[in-house]
Amino acid sequence: MRSRRARTSLSLILFVLPAFALYLAFLAIPMIQGSYFSFTDWNGLNKTYGFVGISNFIEAIRDDTHFRTSILFTAKYVVVAVVLQNAVALLLALLIESRTRAKGFFRTIFFMPNMLSVIISTFMWVFVFSKVIPALSSYGALKFLNLSWLGDPTVSFWTIVIVSLWGGVGTLMLIYMAAIQGIPQHLKEAAIIDGAQPFHMLRYITLPLIVHALTICIFLTLNGSFKIYDLVYALTGGGPGRGTQVITMNILEEAYQGNLRFGYASAKAIILFLIIFVITMIQISVMKNREVEA
Amino acid sequence: MSRRLYSVLAWLVLGVLAVYFLFPIYMALINSFKSQGEIYKSVLKLPSSLNFDNYTEAFTKANLLKSGLNTVIVTVTGIVLIVFCSSLAGYKLSRTRGRLSGAIFMLFVSSMLVPFQTIMVTLTKMARDLGLQGSPLGLGIVCAGLGVNMAVFLYHGFVKGIPRELDESASIDGAGEWRAYFTVIFPLLLPITFTIIVLNLLWLWNDFLLPVLLLNDYRAYTLVLSINMFFGKYSRDWTLILASLVMSSVPIIVIFAIFQRWIIQGITEGAVKG
Repeated sequence: MRSRRARTSLSLILFVLPAFALYLAFLAIPMIQGSYFSFTDWNGLNKTYGFVGISNFIEAIRDDTHFRTSILFTAKYVVVAVVLQNAVALLLALLIESRTRAKGFFRTIFFMPNMLSVIISTFMWVFVFSKVIPALSSYGALKFLNLSWLGDPTVSFWTIVIVSLWGGVGTLMLIYMAAIQGIPQHLKEAAIIDGAQPFHMLRYITLPLIVHALTICIFLTLNGSFKIYDLVYALTGGGPGRGTQVITMNILEEAYQGNLRFGYASAKAIILFLIIFVITMIQISVMKNREVEA
Repeated sequence: MSRRLYSVLAWLVLGVLAVYFLFPIYMALINSFKSQGEIYKSVLKLPSSLNFDNYTEAFTKANLLKSGLNTVIVTVTGIVLIVFCSSLAGYKLSRTRGRLSGAIFMLFVSSMLVPFQTIMVTLTKMARDLGLQGSPLGLGIVCAGLGVNMAVFLYHGFVKGIPRELDESASIDGAGEWRAYFTVIFPLLLPITFTIIVLNLLWLWNDFLLPVLLLNDYRAYTLVLSINMFFGKYSRDWTLILASLVMSSVPIIVIFAIFQRWIIQGITEGAVKG
């Protein structure tokens, strides 16, 4: 019996080893090291470094105005992006599912941006905002488009939102569509027989039965929006100045450009992790309670 | 609100949003065929002729052939490693009861919450220490390390749906555990394997930040990095840039066109189960 148990354990270890080794080397150890370095003043190069306790964390939260601004900017973006992306994705899913024709056509169009690299598609948008829109705004009726889309932080915030909406709704739309397809037909029919208007259908049948999809999609958008980097990098580079700098940019700037404060950057990275962790956990535990079975 | 009005409204909203979604791609496409002078004169008109000069020039100047090959190396290395390692681990963890198995599985799953941005600084250092910095192959290996947790989780869930009797019948046939795995079990995992390939293909092919941190020589650059460098270098010359953007998007759009049904299914399943 004992040898059989040992054999099971051995075979478990052998099967799991390749994946576990990769996981250990590129996820677990970097995470542990990062947590460790966040308590030091290491610059990433020197052999020696000092242990500084929690002073990195205190400095990041209390004294670092650039970091604080980037957190606030990112938080503002997260709120707008989560609401808008989910609203538009849900709207698209409802509209497409209510069509009988051209479903596949619309699904393809709205999902396509998700296939492209964020960097590459955002460069296309840079062209649109720097060349096409100025050309459009020379027509009388479209004069209102004459804004500094990429040069003024207040406007650029909305430019970022427009581009992220374009690239972000596809996957969410697919998840909502799958959820809508999963609503039992007899419930919809019963509601129609009872004389439900489209709005009532949405409010009392569709939405309550796709709460699980809402949970997933809001989690995905919350999680993704806090980590936004590529899009802002390609669109504004965080500028003008630090006007559109997001958290991830601030961390990278600290670690690599000029400052080389590796330990301090690690502390900021841990703070980012805690922010995302706490917020998504709250979101999931709140929303899980509202899910109903069909 | 009458049904008719509702239907008109629905088409209208879909139409407007479709224009918004196609607009940048359409604009990039039509302007990629124009000469510098033509773009300057009119951005909105269709090009006067289908001129591929921008494409041939951008193809060599942006180093698209070499970086396309590098991207293939990264993507294939990453996917092969992820599928091979995670299917083994996910299968075994799902079949073995006990504290060790449960603990290992929890380690994989909880790490899915760690954002890449939190470990990127130390991960770069680790890659440098292991000599994996600077080559597409090394990047593929590092990517595999970041991708196994999610894949193990998906395999683990999928294996639960496969009857245990199948493993047992295979071992009664006298096949060793490993042979039984590759001849009997792995073929059954193909549906979820396809989902995993799709999810990782999109990530690896389009990834930006990790390649930036790990590849510092332009000869090792992936497509996205070459385009990024090209954009910085020729930022005044939109004709070349747009041609390079269109060209680098073509492979993934062709793949999408061919495998659309499976890709959409894979994305939905991956998201819902993940």
